[in-house]
Amino acid sequence: MWVVIAGMALATYLTRAPLLLALARRPLPPRLRLWLRLIPLAVLPALAVPMVLVERGSAGAHVVLAVGHAPLWGALVVLALAARRVNLLVTVAAGVAVVALLRGLA
Amino acid sequence: MRRLREGIVASLALVPSVFVYGTVFGGLAVQAGLRPLEVLGMSVLVFAGASQFVAVPMLAGGAPALAIVVTTYVINMRHYLMAATLAPSFRAFPRPWLALVAHVINDESFAVAVARANPPDPWVFIGSAAAVSGAFLAGVTVGTPLGGLVADPARWGLDFAFPAVFLALLALQLRRASDWVVALAAAVVAVAVALVLPGTWHVVIAGFVVSTAAAFVMDPERA
Repeated sequence: MWVVIAGMALATYLTRAPLLLALARRPLPPRLRLWLRLIPLAVLPALAVPMVLVERGSAGAHVVLAVGHAPLWGALVVLALAARRVNLLVTVAAGVAVVALLRGLA
Repeated sequence: MRRLREGIVASLALVPSVFVYGTVFGGLAVQAGLRPLEVLGMSVLVFAGASQFVAVPMLAGGAPALAIVVTTYVINMRHYLMAATLAPSFRAFPRPWLALVAHVINDESFAVAVARANPPDPWVFIGSAAAVSGAFLAGVTVGTPLGGLVADPARWGLDFAFPAVFLALLALQLRRASDWVVALAAAVVAVAVALVLPGTWHVVIAGFVVSTAAAFVMDPERA
């Protein structure tokens, strides 16, 4: 068991350390700096949007756009509050509450 | 240390969900046959929730060690993108520190840090990582003897805290029209990839392809 855990730890560390160590020291050219600025703009929706829209089951994955799909409404509430610069804790709590409520009613 | 506290406070929205999912992981891992010390050891040494949740049923099902390690690597490849983004912020840090900071790179703290400033403030990131790792390890420690505290976290919307945080922090960063184009393109590509590939390939592919394409098309002097 510990061999597997050590292997997982090493594999994961290899995804974290190399670029942090390599890019921390040298001055970076403008296009590379631009790329680094754009990464979060691509990674955050890539993380979030499939969590909201894609359902994965044993039968395969599919997009859910039904009115009864609670995360859809939660996402709308979160985006509306975040656009008004409402505090993150309040925004997330509101989103979670909407989803819990809709799932409770369903 | 104001920045450190800022990072902790900014992460509080995540602490309940991270804690509960920590308890769920602890409970599942023990049921799957891991010893409590192994569960905690994995959580400290790997510290990457998504890949740990995937590894547990593989371990229980007797999957070969190499398959588990390779799966873990692929699921965590998205860290390359986050590490690259965070690197310039840590220019003033000694290398042993960087080696430690690397270990606590996680989706949530990355999101919190880049939403405040890009390049992010290193201490905001460290504060956030402290809050997230503390909540996760506390959850695992509680969940290992007791089992998951909440039988079905999704019933209470707790699974939704993760996309909620990512979306809210993304909204803070959408300033220019080009930002919207990049974010929407990444969302479309990610959904398309998530439909055909398992795990977190969609984050790696959409995150890398869209940011790289945009960096080639856009003018670094004006963007």
